[in-house]
Amino acid sequence: MIGAEAGQDGGADLRCGRRMAVRRGGTAMTAALILAGQVYLWAGAAVAALFLTWGIGRVEPHARGSYLFRPLLVPGCVLIWPLVLWRWRALEQGRDAGCARHRPPRVAQVRIGVALAVLVPLILGLGLVIRQDGPRERPPALLEAAQ
Amino acid sequence: MSVRYVPVQWNRIKWVYDGLLVAGVLAYLVAFLQIGAGMADATRPVDGAILRMRAFGSCAFFLLTVILCIGPLARLDRRFLPLLYNRRHFGVVTFAVALTHAAYVLGWYFAYAPTPPVAALLSSNTSYGTALGFPFEALGAFALVVLALLAATSHDFWLSFLTAPVWKALHLMIYPAYAALVAHVALGYLQDVDNPAFAILFGGGALAVAGLHAAAALEGRREARSAGTWVAVCAPGEIADKRARIVRLPDGDRAAVFRNGARVSAISNACAHQNGPLGEGRIVFGCVTCPWHGYQYRMEDGCSPPPFTEKVPTYNLRLRDGVIEIDARANAPGTPVPPLDVAGMI
Repeated sequence: MIGAEAGQDGGADLRCGRRMAVRRGGTAMTAALILAGQVYLWAGAAVAALFLTWGIGRVEPHARGSYLFRPLLVPGCVLIWPLVLWRWRALEQGRDAGCARHRPPRVAQVRIGVALAVLVPLILGLGLVIRQDGPRERPPALLEAAQ
Repeated sequence: MSVRYVPVQWNRIKWVYDGLLVAGVLAYLVAFLQIGAGMADATRPVDGAILRMRAFGSCAFFLLTVILCIGPLARLDRRFLPLLYNRRHFGVVTFAVALTHAAYVLGWYFAYAPTPPVAALLSSNTSYGTALGFPFEALGAFALVVLALLAATSHDFWLSFLTAPVWKALHLMIYPAYAALVAHVALGYLQDVDNPAFAILFGGGALAVAGLHAAAALEGRREARSAGTWVAVCAPGEIADKRARIVRLPDGDRAAVFRNGARVSAISNACAHQNGPLGEGRIVFGCVTCPWHGYQYRMEDGCSPPPFTEKVPTYNLRLRDGVIEIDARANAPGTPVPPLDVAGMI
């Protein structure tokens, strides 16, 4: 009996140790992800500073002489700076596809909309299926009036 | 055309729209905080910070639900189009509300964590292999990042700079974000809530989004099937003078068929500037004028009058049995097409 209890305790220790190891691994991965995110955002800040003070006027005629709206573009530049660099380069080299401006991806939008229409009921169903309702012995009641 | 960028383009309609939007958000938050406290389980009293967290979180969910309903509603019924054109302000407000929810979560649950609050949130639960107890916080964080991305790129500049295909592709991320948000609520708050009212509103909203998108897709498919190369538009008299009829073509593009007296021409419905809806503009001084920023195009060749250089695609038209038909194959931007003479038919 004692041995069995000891065995159980040993198993519990092992599981606990495993959980701790998984948690340490998760923390390390999260820390790495956050560091990568910080590096990405700092690079974006550098691109934003360069593009909004110098590049924007070179590639966007309607932005020349217009400065008040530029601070509003800072978050976008920081978040999508690889796209900003790509478009900046394309416009500097005169590789802008004029006709494509009239063709937003409407077909893709319909397909993604249909995928959403299928996915949403599945997610809702999953949420309801796994829900664990507590015991329903008696509805809770407030025994005394709030002071 | 010389339209300089400004921080925010407001007009009277947008002021009214934004005013109603902010008033609606404030009314929802006040109602949730007042009613929610009273409906809380007496055995599990909810702290004020948690109640505010839930008020902002549920508000963001319902705002995004309305945003995603507007698109298919406008496709199914043109009367919803005015809601569509100011949707970007709606999105920015939604991000602000969602960010407030996230700030409450981090400030309440992770304020005293030994690691930074965001790191604590993402690493406190790593049970990604199970549905029950799934770390739903990560799903909410993903949706918040997407909302931030879309709010940050909502200025007109981004549409022009990135071009419509890239900008639109970027903004299609709202769909996976909404799916993540539904999962965030379904695997999070829905597991805990006892009051069926929230579950009904949440499920009803999410199913409305799903149903409207399915209906809009079916409607588009039906239209595409019924149309060939030549698509019937309407009788000439049905188009008001100096106005247009917008036609959806089998490939999903839209054309605007304008009538100027006894002459009818068709050009793309998307303005070359920022894809404004040309078909909702009118003819001013002989040119089609975009309702968004006043860009102008000649009906017969889709070119802006000199010295401007913008061009939009044109379409061929013909008359058959008194009905205008449009060739679904667009001409290259700036291609001249002789106007259709409809004298005696209007």
